[in-house]
Amino acid sequence: MKNLMMFIKQNNLIITLVFLLIGTGMAFLIFSFASKSLINIILLYILTLMFIVRYTNNYYYGAMAAFISIACANYFFSYPYFKFNFTQTEYFLTCAEILAITLFTTTTTSHVKSQSQMLEERDKQLVEAEKEKMRANLLRAVSHDLRTPLTSIIGEISSFRENADNLSEEEKNDLAKNIYDDAIWLLNMVENLLSITRIKNSVTKVKKSSEAVEEVISEAVTRLKKRIPHANIVVSVPNEFLMIPMDAILIEQVIINLLENAIIHSESTKPIELKITSNNTVAAFHIIDYGIGIDENRINDLFEGFPAREAHTADNRKGMGIGLSICKTIILAHDGKISAKNHEYGAEFYFELPKEELNE
Amino acid sequence: MNNNFSVLIIEDEKNISNFISKILTSHGYRVITSLSGKEGMYLIASQCPDIILLDLGLPDMDGVDIIRQVRQWSSNPIIVVSARIQENDKVQALDAGADDYITKPFGTSELLARIRTSIRHNNKLNKEAPLFKYPYKAMDLYIDFLNHVITLKGEVIHLTPVEYKIVAYLALNSGKVMTHSSIMKEVWGPYVEEDNKILRVNMANIRRKIEINPAEPKYIFTEVGVGYRMLDDELS
Repeated sequence: MKNLMMFIKQNNLIITLVFLLIGTGMAFLIFSFASKSLINIILLYILTLMFIVRYTNNYYYGAMAAFISIACANYFFSYPYFKFNFTQTEYFLTCAEILAITLFTTTTTSHVKSQSQMLEERDKQLVEAEKEKMRANLLRAVSHDLRTPLTSIIGEISSFRENADNLSEEEKNDLAKNIYDDAIWLLNMVENLLSITRIKNSVTKVKKSSEAVEEVISEAVTRLKKRIPHANIVVSVPNEFLMIPMDAILIEQVIINLLENAIIHSESTKPIELKITSNNTVAAFHIIDYGIGIDENRINDLFEGFPAREAHTADNRKGMGIGLSICKTIILAHDGKISAKNHEYGAEFYFELPKEELNE
Repeated sequence: MNNNFSVLIIEDEKNISNFISKILTSHGYRVITSLSGKEGMYLIASQCPDIILLDLGLPDMDGVDIIRQVRQWSSNPIIVVSARIQENDKVQALDAGADDYITKPFGTSELLARIRTSIRHNNKLNKEAPLFKYPYKAMDLYIDFLNHVITLKGEVIHLTPVEYKIVAYLALNSGKVMTHSSIMKEVWGPYVEEDNKILRVNMANIRRKIEINPAEPKYIFTEVGVGYRMLDDELS
C-alpha cells in the first residue's frame, strides 16, 4: 500500500516534469522558428500548467510547476538570454499573474474532481442498495414460499401418524400423493435458487458454451414431463440447426419455469405451445398458452421479483413471482430479453438469446 | 429372480442409503452398504459386488479416484449417483470408467431400470461377440448390425456412414449414457479434436431422420452437458 502511494507521488512528479519538458521544448521551437515574443511563450507555459493541473492530483505540483515555468521563461526566453534577471517590475507582475492563474485552476479542477468522485460513489451506493433490496425481497419471498409446503407436509405426516388406524386406504394414498407433490414442489424451488447461486458465484456473468437448441428443449420438456406427466406440450423448432452460446442448465430452468407457469396458471387443458424462431442475430423462444391470459394490472411488474402486495395473492404458494424473477435474472445474464403479453386466446411469454457472443 | 446379484451402495447420507437399500432388497437384490469411500474400497475388494452404486460427494475420498482405482482390476458396473448441477463431475466419472449415472432425486423405477441395464451390458461383455450382433429393436426402430440397415416402421432409413456409426454405437450401448468424448473417439478415432460441434450437427441430422419431432425425441435422448442416451433395447 505504501509502495503504491509512493509510486503515485513519484508518478505525479514525473508527469509534471514531462509536461514541463514538452512545454519548454515547444517554447524553444516557437522561439527559434516563429516568434520571439515573450507573450507566446508565457501563454504556452500557462497551457502546460493547465495540463499538469489536470493530470496530477495535488495542487502542490501545479504551484511547483508554475515557479519552474516562470524561472524557465525568465532564463531562456527573455533578454538577457540564459541569465536570470528579476530586476524589471514587469517580471514580478507576470510571475504574480501566472501563479494566480495556476492556483485558481488547481483549486477549480480539484473541486470538480472531488465532486465527480462523490457522484460516482453515490451511484455505486444506489446500485448496492438496489441489489440489497432485491436480495431482501427474494429472501422474504423464499421463506414465505418454502414455509407453506413444509407446513402442509408436516401437517399431512402428523395426521398420517396420529390417525393411521382410522384412515381408509384411499385417504392414505391421497395423503402420500399430497406429500409427494409438496416435496417435488420444494425441490423445484430449491433448484431454482441453486441456479441463482450459479450466476452470483461467477465473476463474469455466466459460463456459456455452444449448445444445440433442440437438445436443450428436449431435455427441458422431458424433465418437466417426468414431474407433471399430464403436461400437454406441442414443440416446434425450425428445421435449421441452431447452436446458441448459453449455460444450458440455466436456460433449461427458464423453459421449465415458463412451461410450468403456463400449465398451472392458464387454467386450461389446451396444449401449451413451445415455439422457436430465429433471425440473423437472435433465437426467440415462445411459450404460448390458450387460457385465461395474464392480469393486465400485473403484466408490467410480472418479472420484478415479488410484488409488494403479498396480501391479495391468495394462491402465491405457486411462487410465480420468484420463478419469473429468476427467469429474468438468467436471461439478463445471457444478454437476452424476456417479456410477456396477452394474445387473443391466452398468454405468451417469450425470451430471446443472442446468437453470437457480445463483446468478442 | 435377482437373487444372484449383490449391490454395494457407497453413500454417506444414511437416509438415502437406507431408502435405496430398502428398494433393492424388496426387489431381490443382496445389498451391502458403506458410509465412506475407504470402507467402500475395502468392500469392493473383499465382497466383489456385482454392481456398485457410488455417490460422488463422499467426505473422505474423491468419487472419481475410487472409479479409477477400481477400474484397474475390475470391470463390474459402477453407477454414479450425483446431484444435477455437477455436470463436470458426471463427465469425469463416466470418462474414468463409470458405466452410467443417475441424478438425485430419482424414482424407484428409474433406479431399477439403470441397474438392470448395467447388469445386462456386463453380461454381454462376458459372453463376447455374438450377442453384439443381435439386432436392436425399440418401439418402431429396428437396427440390423450385420447388414448395416436401420428401419423405422419397416421403412429403410438412409444414414451416412458417420451417422450410422454414431447410431450403432449408441444402440449397442442402449440405455446407457455415452459421453460426447467417448462417441467422438469411437466414430472419428482417438486423435479427434476437442470441439464436439461436428457430433452435434450429425446428431441433429440423425434426429431429423429417425425422430418424428426432433424436439421431442423418442429414441435418442440428450443429457445436456454430458452426452446421449439411446432408448433401451426391447429384445435383450
